[in-house]
Amino acid sequence: MTESRFSDRGDRSQNSERGERGERSERPRRFISRPKFCQFCSDKNLVIDYKSVELMSRYINETGKIRPRRQTGACAKHQREVAKAVKNARHIALLPFEGDFWTENN
Amino acid sequence: MHNYELIFILQADLDEASLNTAVDNVETLIKNNGGEIAKIDRWGKRKLAYPINKANEGYYVFVDFNYKPEEVAGLKRTLGYNEQVMRHIVVRKA
Repeated sequence: MTESRFSDRGDRSQNSERGERGERSERPRRFISRPKFCQFCSDKNLVIDYKSVELMSRYINETGKIRPRRQTGACAKHQREVAKAVKNARHIALLPFEGDFWTENN
Repeated sequence: MHNYELIFILQADLDEASLNTAVDNVETLIKNNGGEIAKIDRWGKRKLAYPINKANEGYYVFVDFNYKPEEVAGLKRTLGYNEQVMRHIVVRKA
């Protein structure tokens, strides 16, 4: 079970971002624009809620992983809350554990 | 008493009557143990983000309620025993 999962991951990483990262020495580092401020600090009315799929899906990448703070721009406190919320949402199948969520749904 | 919210996923291929009884059972269980239900919101059939037990769809029910903390474990246990419930989550609201 675990073995097959690992090999599956390996396949995916070859044709996604990971593979490109491996060749970083050859190509210029890609710039990913990110919000300068924590979204939740600047907008106090915005609640981190595991039920709001639209909001939470912005905090996972195309492989379903939780995006790191350096990409999301969230402060430490809110990043922790976001991570928790994403995990809750995954449990009740609102967000995927792995794989592309958007193409499968459309 | 604290404010909790519960989401549970019922099997989508159940007929209307058994869906209703399943939701009613949860409602009466909460009320019989001294809980107060603020809101029951049926989200209805939704596509799951990933298949659960080979099912691609689920019937989502959201319950907002006040409950005694010591009774929550019993509620979770009952939901876990129910085979029609695919997943459930209980979250205490701040």
